Amino acid sequence: MLLGKSVTEILALIKNKKISSKEVIDYFLKRIEKYNKKLNAYLTINKSYKADKLDKIKVPIAIKDNFCTKGIRTTASSKVLANFIPPYESTVTKRLIDTSFFILGKTNMDAWAHGSSTETSDFGPTKNPWDLSRCPGGSSGGSAAAVSSYLAPVAIGSETAGSIRQPASWSGVIGLKPTYGRVSRYGLIAMASSLDCPGPLTLTTEDAAFILKIIAGKDKFDATTAPNEVPDYVASLKKKKKFIIGITDEYLNGVDGEIKEAFYQLVLILEKLGHKIKKIKLLSPKYSISVYTIIQRAEVSSNLARYDGIRYGNDRTFFGSEAKKRIMLGTYVLSYGYYDAYYKKAQKVRTLIIEDFKKVFKEVDIILAPTTPIAALKLKEFEKYPFFGEMMDVLNEPAAIAGICAISFPFGLTKKENLPIGLQLMGRWFEEENILNLTYQIEKETDFLEVIKKGVKNYPD
Amino acid sequence: MKKKSLSKEEVLQLSKLAGLTLVDDEIVKYKTQLEETISYIENLNELATDNVLPTSSATFLKNVFFDDGEKNKRGLNLEEVFQNTQNKEGNFFKVKKIFDE
Repeated sequence: MLLGKSVTEILALIKNKKISSKEVIDYFLKRIEKYNKKLNAYLTINKSYKADKLDKIKVPIAIKDNFCTKGIRTTASSKVLANFIPPYESTVTKRLIDTSFFILGKTNMDAWAHGSSTETSDFGPTKNPWDLSRCPGGSSGGSAAAVSSYLAPVAIGSETAGSIRQPASWSGVIGLKPTYGRVSRYGLIAMASSLDCPGPLTLTTEDAAFILKIIAGKDKFDATTAPNEVPDYVASLKKKKKFIIGITDEYLNGVDGEIKEAFYQLVLILEKLGHKIKKIKLLSPKYSISVYTIIQRAEVSSNLARYDGIRYGNDRTFFGSEAKKRIMLGTYVLSYGYYDAYYKKAQKVRTLIIEDFKKVFKEVDIILAPTTPIAALKLKEFEKYPFFGEMMDVLNEPAAIAGICAISFPFGLTKKENLPIGLQLMGRWFEEENILNLTYQIEKETDFLEVIKKGVKNYPD
Repeated sequence: MKKKSLSKEEVLQLSKLAGLTLVDDEIVKYKTQLEETISYIENLNELATDNVLPTSSATFLKNVFFDDGEKNKRGLNLEEVFQNTQNKEGNFFKVKKIFDE
């Protein structure tokens, strides 16, 4: 009865007394017990619900393991924090708990969110629910896999540059990266503070709008959150808005043929729906890779300096290989004599990228592009590619660096391997309403929900 | 692409600055990987940035302040402060001595 139901649907069932919150939570805990060993989507299960006040409506949610959850182990998938129990609650999880959510558990990720495959986790990789020999994407791979296999009706992830959209694309669910500053980072284990951005991974567009409405908005504990009003994202889904949509060759270079085909198919559908398609020119995403590499490593080296093993966690010998490499590169680009050549140069090119988007957004409302150049890779394949993560996130990094909002949704399957294809919409700063609105129009016009449903059906009760 | 090179000493110096201890094969591995990355990011020099101001944040916010007292609301009590450490003596964190007497 519950299999594949969205958060909105589950809430309605509970409100109409068709099912109790306890039954829903038990249902998901049972599914986790059945499938989690195979998928390794969850690292920690929250069994405290008996003590939890269930007289209030509670819908289960999975949380990426880099959000501090008071009393629930939080590791960021690193052995440095293997036994860390946060003494406080992150703003995102607090808002969710205070509304009507129960944290089912904490999901696996690349250690410290460094990666795009969930393979750098110190607690083993998560498997792609569509093909267990493949990566779910990353770094929010556990969250994407949990939703895709219906071990949770919704999950929270975080994105620095692609970490929500890329796993959503590879695992066949919806992933929303809000504008930087739209959602509080308080209690999110910091990776690159000028880029980090929490967001939901969901089964429907409506759920993405619903969750964003809860977690978005000014937070007094995160000075980078914007005071802009939070619109009713759900209510505005149903307006039939017309948009000018930009497409660019720069985002199709090196993209797999089948994904390109899906992209052009959607272009035709959008025209049919009465939207205007316009060719635009953007800076090559290859510069975004460099800017991201420098800024991310620099901020990582400074953020991870706090892990000294004195006040909490294990000492620095517990860092894995990827974290060490990133900390050292960050130290290099920030060190005396190199600061201007690398860090400052990257911050200047970041300005160029922001200006570039500002210019384009004068001509168009939304940009359409593929989310990833190829569908899900096999486990361990990344070792063969230098810069693996960056290449897989090449189409995600420009939006992250500019801080604009973007959403990825599944759009068909590859023919031979039957893997989800992801396309994305990028919108102006704080215009989540528009990209959600267009995604909803696409959802109603096409059968993209069928892809998500098909994924869920691979994991029967 | 011009290949940048790092010496073994530079790699060791970086690990020292970052408070990391490396074993021998790690030094070799990181040296190659760091060189690769540093060579790639050189492509930024293809873009002229002489008159461009650096961005430090994409929020465009200016002068954000706490209201009086707000900051204290996220304070922890002593039990919470020490709940994740084994290096505790009284109400202090115990650390290694830095200076010799």
